[in-house]
Amino acid sequence: MKEQLQAGKTIRFNVNGSSVDLSVPATYRLVDILRKELNLTGTKISCEVGRCGACSVILNGKLVNSCLVMAYQLEDAVVQTIESVSADALHPIQEAFLQGGALQCGYCTPGMIMALKSLLERESQPTKEEVLQGLSGNLCRCTGYEGILRAVDILANKAE
Amino acid sequence: MRLTRAGSRNRWKARRDGIQKVTGELKYLSDMSFPNMLYGTVLRSEYAFAKINSIDTSEAEKLPGVSAVLTSKDIPGLNGFGIVIQDQPVFCEDTVRYVGDAIAAVAAETQEIAEKAAALIKVEYTPLQPITDPEVSLLAKTPKLHENGNLLHNAFYKQGADVEEAFANCACIVEEVYYTPRQMHAYMETEGGVAVPHEDGLTLYAPTQHGFKDQLQLSRILNMPESDIRVISSPIGGSFGGKDELNIQPFICLLARATGKPVKIHQSRRTSVKAGLKRHPMKITMKTGADKDGNLLAHKVRILADTGAYATLGPAVLDFAVEHSTGPYRIKHVEVEGYSVYTNNGVAGEFRGFGGNQVTFALESQIEKLAEMLNISSTALRRKNLRKTADPGPVNQQIVPTAGAEQVLDEILKSPILQDKPPNNESQPFILKGKGYSITMHGGGLGYGRSDPSGARLSLNEKGKLEISFGFEECGQGLLSTIEMIMTESFACSADDVEITIGDTAKVPHSGSSTASRATNMVWTGINKMKGSWCDKVYSFVSQQSGVPLEVLKTGHGGIWEYQENGNSALVMTYKEVADKISELPVVTASYHFPTTPESIDGGHFLYSFAGAAAEVEIDALTGRVYVSKLDHAIAAGPVVNPMGYLGQIEGGGSMALGFTLMEDAVMDNGKYMTENFDSYLIPTILDIPKSTNVSAIEELEDGDEYGPRGVGEIGTVAVAPAIVAAIHDATGHWVNKLPICPEEIMEFAFTKISKENQNGWLGGDKG
Repeated sequence: MKEQLQAGKTIRFNVNGSSVDLSVPATYRLVDILRKELNLTGTKISCEVGRCGACSVILNGKLVNSCLVMAYQLEDAVVQTIESVSADALHPIQEAFLQGGALQCGYCTPGMIMALKSLLERESQPTKEEVLQGLSGNLCRCTGYEGILRAVDILANKAE
Repeated sequence: MRLTRAGSRNRWKARRDGIQKVTGELKYLSDMSFPNMLYGTVLRSEYAFAKINSIDTSEAEKLPGVSAVLTSKDIPGLNGFGIVIQDQPVFCEDTVRYVGDAIAAVAAETQEIAEKAAALIKVEYTPLQPITDPEVSLLAKTPKLHENGNLLHNAFYKQGADVEEAFANCACIVEEVYYTPRQMHAYMETEGGVAVPHEDGLTLYAPTQHGFKDQLQLSRILNMPESDIRVISSPIGGSFGGKDELNIQPFICLLARATGKPVKIHQSRRTSVKAGLKRHPMKITMKTGADKDGNLLAHKVRILADTGAYATLGPAVLDFAVEHSTGPYRIKHVEVEGYSVYTNNGVAGEFRGFGGNQVTFALESQIEKLAEMLNISSTALRRKNLRKTADPGPVNQQIVPTAGAEQVLDEILKSPILQDKPPNNESQPFILKGKGYSITMHGGGLGYGRSDPSGARLSLNEKGKLEISFGFEECGQGLLSTIEMIMTESFACSADDVEITIGDTAKVPHSGSSTASRATNMVWTGINKMKGSWCDKVYSFVSQQSGVPLEVLKTGHGGIWEYQENGNSALVMTYKEVADKISELPVVTASYHFPTTPESIDGGHFLYSFAGAAAEVEIDALTGRVYVSKLDHAIAAGPVVNPMGYLGQIEGGGSMALGFTLMEDAVMDNGKYMTENFDSYLIPTILDIPKSTNVSAIEELEDGDEYGPRGVGEIGTVAVAPAIVAAIHDATGHWVNKLPICPEEIMEFAFTKISKENQNGWLGGDKG
């Protein structure tokens, strides 16, 4: 079994609108595929056990920790990373992050933005409780989250 | 002034590095890759304390794809590092002293091969019983972890007459023992980077708070001239003091030298926990006495700090704790003794607040307890003993006059949190509410007797930009924006006119470390020092060229303007035109030192900032869980340069201190970490922070104060724990002496309190 997994087969999936064919071991993690194979380093790596959210991406429309997704789960999948969010201009979430002071070192920021984007795609007018729940899987050590909540207020046009 | 986005108006500016961060475009140094790059890994100890009998790397070397396997024999220079004391081996030779100790490093074509090879290295150990209790470590019969014994450093401070005699004259005495946790920095970016060799040396891309110090240390290890090592050290994905020491740098540099190829290491979180620095756990015994009128007469303190296996900045952290153990109070008779002790626990070092957090928790708790015993308000007790503007510093040294202590006390008392006791909610009978506050003072810079120089360079570059260069790092604190704002306000120019260069030893002057809340202050000082002579050079050229008199020339948006009193100022020459036409581009440099007290007191500070924190808590008596529902800060640190950055530092510091108080402890058992990742080491999430946080910034400095804005990187973390602990006491009647607070302990007291209050209520069975 292990040998089979190690042998690797070609998987085909879509990242940010482009089709990707990769021959990697079946247990190769999505976070490594993104960062090491595709040089999409906007997706960050931090805890590798699905607790910090730095590696959050949207997989088939759902927010996932890319450290917990393996290559064999990607066949025909559609993956959106932070690099897809501002293809033309800054996304309103990104603009709100800048205006709210929602980032400091910035290492949690891509994951945080993906989490908020995923939430807003599910629920365009989330309650405060839904926002807190939606972002509770993304750790930030710098801002104390206050800036992130300012950004949410800006998005909701509730800014002071 | 309450610091808000709206109140900051046009000074609330999006960060200079913001767009790259929100788009994910920014390459952190741990994100970088190079052609033919190898992956490195480090074999770390299996034991907290053991003798190494043999190391056999032959199997690892044979593994296909492995390019190099290095041990202590392969170090060309010094097998040791440490900012002050180089007692930490790059690779252990005969002894391991903690679980993060490095024994060998491997470079291979892939990460997987490197790790497989590391697992093939055979190390034979003779395990020894780890020394994990600092008290035991100090005993004469305990094995010595280092040549000079297990006491890394001791520090004493005494003032007044015999403290024991003074206690005899006290009406009330409080004596307690306080314990603080081994807090983890928990920066989101773990340690990582790439070393790229080239003909003349190597370039290191690795986040660190002090590129030049890395360069110096690496030159010793690699036996290479410093000038051959270029360190590129920004941006940093969080540090908080944790990346000031070398971490992966020696390994990737040695591997790059050995293989001739770029080598990258990006540590896993588990390895980062194991090998990285933590906040010093401290045991603080504090005895404080006052007369019946509330005058603090006697204060005796013993601080025992567990520095772990190696020194790092243990001595300086201890000195800081000793210095701050009287805080902003004047106490007549004081005796403080501090010990920083080697153990086989994880290495403790520099961490935001630098020993102030631990001792302030103890001191402010003492003040509250004494007030309770004296039956006066803690505010009255504080006021009675508070330092006045012209008073000397906490170790009786000359300091810059400051009313900060009174200012933060006055301001924090205005917090709505402290006005009325929060009402209990009848529908939540098991929730107890309480409020409390604390204050503190905190020294900036490294202190007396420590070389603390800084430097800056200002030029007009070929592109027609005002290029400002510092050896500081962007750790996330917002330094780039702070530099931008001091520049644009000093020169009345636009942000586009400014080019900022930091974080690259090949391009910047030595500015010292981005630590000790010093960078903002040193940036402000540097720019102020250089501005005059830079302008003189430029004005003289522009005047020559244009015939406009020198006196009416001013820097402004885009270039040099002719200033007219009627307001019709006109642009005389753009910066680009000046740059194109001038024969020699103007360059001004400045070298200066962080201001220090003239008193010869080791580590004594000269510039202080102050903070007050007020907390409201809600305690669930059924679970013992404490929720901090509101947290306000009052900060006195001089003028606010960068409101967004200032607010972010205080809010972020508050959240980190909330973790220190309520949940964070890197638990060790017999020298091994039990909390290895974020599944067991919990830091606050967005659901754990208060419902509201307000920050008040007090900007006024004393007349004649020429030292400008103080840094606020640390001050927001210091007063929070004792404020929460005071609020817990207000809610439950129980004093917590050990952090992080233990829910079982709270539950017992909270439940007892509710039971007593409800003897005739629902717990008594008959509410009517």
